[in-house]
Amino acid sequence: MRIRGPAALVIALVAAVVCGAAGLDWTNEGVTAAGSAVSAAARANGTIRGRVDLRQPPADTLPRTSVTDLGMSAPHAPIDRRSVVYLDPAPRAAFDTREEPRPRMDQRNETFVPHVLAVVAGTTVDFPNSDQTYHNVFSLSKTRSFDLGRYAVGRSKAVRFDRPGIVRVFCDIHSHMSAFILVFSHRYFSVVDDEGRYRLENVPPGTYTVVAWNESAPLESRRVVIAEAGGDVEINFALGRR
Amino acid sequence: MLIGVHARRLLLALSCVAKATCVVAATCVATAARAGAQPLPEGPVRLLDGRVALSGEVVATIGSRDEVAWFNYTDYEHNALRMMRLGLTAAWRPAERVAFVGEIRSEDLEHPSAYAAYVRVRPWRRYNFDIQAGRIPPTFGAFSRHAYGTDNPVIGYPLAYQYLTSLRTDAVPATADDLLEMRARGWRSSFPIGSQTPGPGVPMITAFRWDTGVQVRWKQGPIEVTSALTNGTLSNPRVRDDNGGKQIAGRVVLTPGVGWIIGASAARGAWLSRDIPSQTTLPPQRALGADLEYSRDHWIVRGEVVWTRWSFPVPLWPANVDQVGALAAWGEGRYRITPRLYLAGRADRMTFTRLRGSVPKSRAQPWDAPVTRIEGGVGVYLQRNLVLRTTVQGNWRTAGRVHDRAFLSAQLAYWF
Repeated sequence: MRIRGPAALVIALVAAVVCGAAGLDWTNEGVTAAGSAVSAAARANGTIRGRVDLRQPPADTLPRTSVTDLGMSAPHAPIDRRSVVYLDPAPRAAFDTREEPRPRMDQRNETFVPHVLAVVAGTTVDFPNSDQTYHNVFSLSKTRSFDLGRYAVGRSKAVRFDRPGIVRVFCDIHSHMSAFILVFSHRYFSVVDDEGRYRLENVPPGTYTVVAWNESAPLESRRVVIAEAGGDVEINFALGRR
Repeated sequence: MLIGVHARRLLLALSCVAKATCVVAATCVATAARAGAQPLPEGPVRLLDGRVALSGEVVATIGSRDEVAWFNYTDYEHNALRMMRLGLTAAWRPAERVAFVGEIRSEDLEHPSAYAAYVRVRPWRRYNFDIQAGRIPPTFGAFSRHAYGTDNPVIGYPLAYQYLTSLRTDAVPATADDLLEMRARGWRSSFPIGSQTPGPGVPMITAFRWDTGVQVRWKQGPIEVTSALTNGTLSNPRVRDDNGGKQIAGRVVLTPGVGWIIGASAARGAWLSRDIPSQTTLPPQRALGADLEYSRDHWIVRGEVVWTRWSFPVPLWPANVDQVGALAAWGEGRYRITPRLYLAGRADRMTFTRLRGSVPKSRAQPWDAPVTRIEGGVGVYLQRNLVLRTTVQGNWRTAGRVHDRAFLSAQLAYWF
C-alpha cells in the first residue's frame, strides 16, 4: 500500500506525540529509591527549608476555542501552579507509615482545586464535584490511569494511588481543566505555600539531593548535608530558563 | 454471492487499514526513545499576552474507496471516510465583551477556506445574551453543536448532515419523472430547468459549510434560546445571498437536570438560486428538528430527528406536488470501557416523501432512495487530545447502481 498524504501526516503526528509523551509521563526513579544508609536513630534530625521562585510565571491555560460556541465564555480563575520540593533519595525512616487525613482534589468553577497535590503511595484521593455541571475526571498516566465517568454536583469518587510517579488529571468534558498528583514512596516532600516557601522537617543526618519540581520548568536539584547535630539548612531554587 | 463480494471488499479494506495502523504503530515504537523531542501542544497556543488563543485540529481518515455508491461523499470531490482535514481556530478578545472568532479549514490539503469568521458581542454584562455576526455557527440541530474531531464518537456523519439528496439549488425537475429518475444519484444529478451541468445535490443540512448572517443567543438557567437570520439555508449555507431571501432559524435547548439536554429547532428560508427561471416567489426549505442527549458515568447517548420540506417554483406533473420532504433520525452511543478505550455506534435512517410518476398504474414511491446506515467501532485515546478510531459502516438503500456497501475506516484525530 502506498503511503499517501494523509497517512504520512498521521505517522508524523503520532511520532511527534510519542516523543512528547516520553517526556510527559515522568516517573521519578529517585522517589522510589531504597533510602539512605544513614541511621536515624540516636542522632538529631534537621530541617531543610527555603523558597522556590519561578523566573517566568507560567502562562494561564486558555480554554480551547470552539467555533461552535454560541456565547462568551466565562472567565476562569488563574491556576495556582505550585512547586513541589522533595528528597531524593529519601532516608529510611521516611517509609514509616502514618495515618493522615484523606486528601481531596475538588472540582470548582471548572478548575481542579488544588491544582497540584502531593501524596504518599497508597493514599486514596477524593474527587468531589462542587460544580453545577458534570465533570469526568480521568487520567491516562502510566503511574495510575483511571476514568471516574460523569458525575454530578454533590457526588464524590475516589482513586487510590499505589505507585510513585506523576499523574496528570484531566476532565473529559472541560478541556481546560487539568491537575497534577505527585505520588511519592516516602514522606519527605512539600508543596510550597503561597509565598513559595517549603519545609522538610525531621530529616535524619546524611547527604541528600533536594529536588524542586514545577510543571512549567525543568527539574532542579541541590546537594544538601544534614549534620550529625541536626539543624536547619536553607536551599532556595529559581526554576525556569534564565 | 453478494455476501462473498462484500466479504472480499471488507477484507481488502481491512488489509489496507491494518497496514496503515502497523506503519503508525511501528513509527510510534521507533520514535518513543527520542526523549528529547518537544511534545505537541496540549492546549491553545497563547499569542499577544494571551489576548489571542490559537487552537487547531488535524483529522486524518483512511478508508476504502467508494466511487460507485457515493454513500459518504460530501460533494462530488470529497469522501468523509477518506479525508484529511486541517483546521486552525483563532479567537481574539480585545475587550471583555467583544471577541473575534475565525476558523480556517482545509479538506484533503486543498486551499484553505474560512469556515467560521464572526464577531461576538455581549452588550450587557449582567445578562447572558450574545450577538454574533458573520459566518456564524449553525443554529439548527444538535450535531452542529459538536466539534467533529473531539465529539464525534464514530467516523461517519449522520445522514441528515451529509448524505446528498438529488435536489439541487441551481436546477429543478419539471416533472415527477425527472425527480424519480435521479433517485440515489445525489452525488451527480441533473434536471431540465436551470443549470444543465450535472452536479452534486444537497443534504438536508450540511455540516461542511456555515451560513452568513446574524445570530442572537440568550441563556438563563436551564434554558438557552438561539435565533439567526442568514443568507443561505440548511441545505445550502452561503456567504453571499443568491436569491434575495433570508433564512430564519431558531433553537431552544433545555437542560432539566445534569446530564440531560433536550433541544428543538426550526428553520425556514428561500433555497433556490435566482438563476432558475420561472420563479415568481421564493420557494422555501422548511425544517423542524428535535434532539435529546443523556450522559451518565461512562455513557453518552444521543438522538436526533430532522424533518424538512423543499418547495418548487411550479408543481411537478403529473403528481401536482409543489414540495417534497425528507425525514431523518439517528441515535448514537458511546461507552468508555477503560480510560483509553471506548466503544461507539450509530444507527441512522433517512426516508423521503412519496410521489407518483407518469407511468400508468404505477405506485407512488419515495422521490429519493431511503437509506439506512449503521456504524460501529472502537476508539483509543493515545493521548488526552489524540484519538485513534476504527469503525465499520454499513449502508443500505433501495435504489441506485449499488444498493448496499460496507466501509472499514480508521481515523487519527488530534486537537489542541
